[in-house]
Amino acid sequence: MDIIKGRVWIFQDNVDTDQILPGYAMAEPFNELGKYAMKGSEKVDFAKRVRVGDIIVAGKNFGCGSSREQAPVALKEAGVGSVIAASFARIFRRNAINIGMPVLEVDLREHFNEGDTISVDIAKGLIFKDNTTFYAAPLSKNALATLEAGGLIERVRKELGVEKRW
Amino acid sequence: MNIIEKHLAKAADLEKVSVGEDIRCKVRLVVAHDVTGPMAVEQFAKIKIEEVFDPQRVVMVIDHIYPASTVQARNMHWILKDFTKRYGTILYEHGQGVVHQIISENHAQNYGDIIIGADSHTCTAGGYGVIGIGVGSTEVAAAMATGTIDLEVPEVVEVNLTGSFKPFVTAKDLVLTLIGRFGTDGLTDKAILFTGPGVRGLSKDERMTVSNMGIEMGAMISFFADEDKDEGVAQTVAIELSEIIPVVACPYSPANIKPVQEVAGTEVTQVVAGSCTNGRLSDMKAIAEVLRGKHIHPDVNMIVIPASARVYEEMEKHDYCKVIRDAGAVLLNPGCGPCFGAHQGLAADRDVVVSTTNRNFPGRMGSREAKIYLASPVTAAKAAVHGRFVDPREPSGGGEN
Ligand code: SF4
Repeated sequence: MDIIKGRVWIFQDNVDTDQILPGYAMAEPFNELGKYAMKGSEKVDFAKRVRVGDIIVAGKNFGCGSSREQAPVALKEAGVGSVIAASFARIFRRNAINIGMPVLEVDLREHFNEGDTISVDIAKGLIFKDNTTFYAAPLSKNALATLEAGGLIERVRKELGVEKRW
Repeated sequence: MNIIEKHLAKAADLEKVSVGEDIRCKVRLVVAHDVTGPMAVEQFAKIKIEEVFDPQRVVMVIDHIYPASTVQARNMHWILKDFTKRYGTILYEHGQGVVHQIISENHAQNYGDIIIGADSHTCTAGGYGVIGIGVGSTEVAAAMATGTIDLEVPEVVEVNLTGSFKPFVTAKDLVLTLIGRFGTDGLTDKAILFTGPGVRGLSKDERMTVSNMGIEMGAMISFFADEDKDEGVAQTVAIELSEIIPVVACPYSPANIKPVQEVAGTEVTQVVAGSCTNGRLSDMKAIAEVLRGKHIHPDVNMIVIPASARVYEEMEKHDYCKVIRDAGAVLLNPGCGPCFGAHQGLAADRDVVVSTTNRNFPGRMGSREAKIYLASPVTAAKAAVHGRFVDPREPSGGGEN
C-alpha cells in the first residue's frame, strides 16, 4: 500500500455516524455522498474544504451510533485518505476497511495542529510528522488483506477466483 | 476456552482459538433489512457471481419503513423483492415484524450458531444462545457470496447474575443499569457473557431484551450461557438482581442512567412501546396490565407496536389489543415503528418521549431537540397513564386518583 500524505483535521471524542453523514443524506447515490461528509459535525464546511489525501485525527469512539455504511463511504468520496482515532466503534472500523478506507488506532490529537501535513504508512502502522514517528496499533491480518485487495468486495472476488471467469 | 470461544472455534473448524486471533467462521444465517439490504444487494452485484452461498440461509426483512413513507423507501422494498426472486432467498414483508424477532421465531438456530446481520442489534440473538454479530452491508454482501465471516476473537467480559428481580423491576432496568456502568464504548470489540444462577430465572423474552442492548456498550456479542460460571474470561462483574431498581436512560445517551425516582414528576407527551428491545408478548402483557381499565393522560400520544405478527396474534387471543385500544393508545403494524425516526410518530422540539426502544441520541425520533427517555414497558405505560414519570414500584402505581 502506498504512503498517504495529507493535511490534518482534528475531531474530538464520540463523533457519531449522524455527524459524519446526517441521516437525511442516506438516500443519495454513493458518488454524491462526499458532499455531505461531516455535515452534521461542528465543521459544517468540511466537505468543501477537504482535499484528496487529507487525514482525520480524532478522539475515542469515532463512528459510534448506527451501522450505516454510508458514513465511511462519504468520507472516502470526499477524499479523506485515512482516519486516525484513539478508538473506533467496531462496526464503523470494519465498514471503513471493507470499503478500502484505512483507519488506524492511536491518539495523536495532542501532537498535531489542524492543517499540519503528515504522512501515514498504513501497512506498518506508522505516522510521520517532520522528523518524528508515531506508532499506531497494528492492523489485523484480515484488515490488511482487505485493504491490500482494495476492499472486501475485491478481496472476495479474488478469493472466489471470479476475476478469471469474468 | 470460555463458551463463546468454544463456539467460535467450532465455526472456524479449529481446535482452539485465543483472544485477538484472526479467524474465518462459517455463518448459519446472513440477514439484512430494507434500510441496509439494498446496499448489500448493490455490493453483491459487484462480486459478479450467479448464486448466493445457500439461498435458505439468506434472509431479508422489510421492517424498517413499512408501509413505505416515501417513494424512495418503497424503491428499497423493490430492490429486496427483486433480489429475492432472482436468487431464491427468503423474504419477510407485509408487516410480519422486526428482523430480530422474525429470526428468533422462524429460524430457531442451534445453540452456538453464528448469525451475521446488517443491523447493529443482531446481537439480540445472544438471548437464545445464538452468536449474533452486527456488521455493515458490504460484509453481508461478502457473506452472501462465501458463507463465512472474518473475525477477531473478542475478549470476554462475564456478567454473573444471582437472585431475582423485585416486583416492577425488569430486564430493561438490568441492561440500562449495565450500560450506565460500562458506558457507550466500555465494551467495544468485546463480548459480554451472562452466567450465574440468576440467568435461569430469566425468560427468553427477558434475555433478548438484555442481549439487544449489548451494542449500546459497543459489544460485538451479547450472549447468555447456561453455565453458572465460565473460564478464560477477562473480567467478571457480579450483579445481584434484587438490587436492581427501575431506571431510565435520560437524554441524550443510553448511558445517562438515573433511577425513575429521580425523574418522577417530569411531564411526558409521547410514549412509544415496542421494538426489537421490548416488543414481545411479555412486554405487551406488562403494558396491557398497566392500562387495563384506565385511560392514558389526555396530553399523551401512546403508540404500541408489536415486534411481530405472531406477537400481535397472541395479543388478540388475550384481550391485550382491546385493553390497549380502549385506553386510548394507537396500535401500529408490527415493525420498527418510530424507533429510528423514519415514520409513524416523529417527535417535535417540545416533545418528551418515553420509549421502550434502545437509543435516545439527539434526533433519533425526529427533532434533535426532542427529549427521549428509554424505559421498561411498565415504567413507560405508567408514564402514559399519568402524563408524567412515576416510580412503578409505588403501591398506588404512582398515585392515581
Ligand atoms: S426496532 Fe429500532 S433498533 Fe430494532 S431493528 Fe428496528 S429500528 Fe433498529
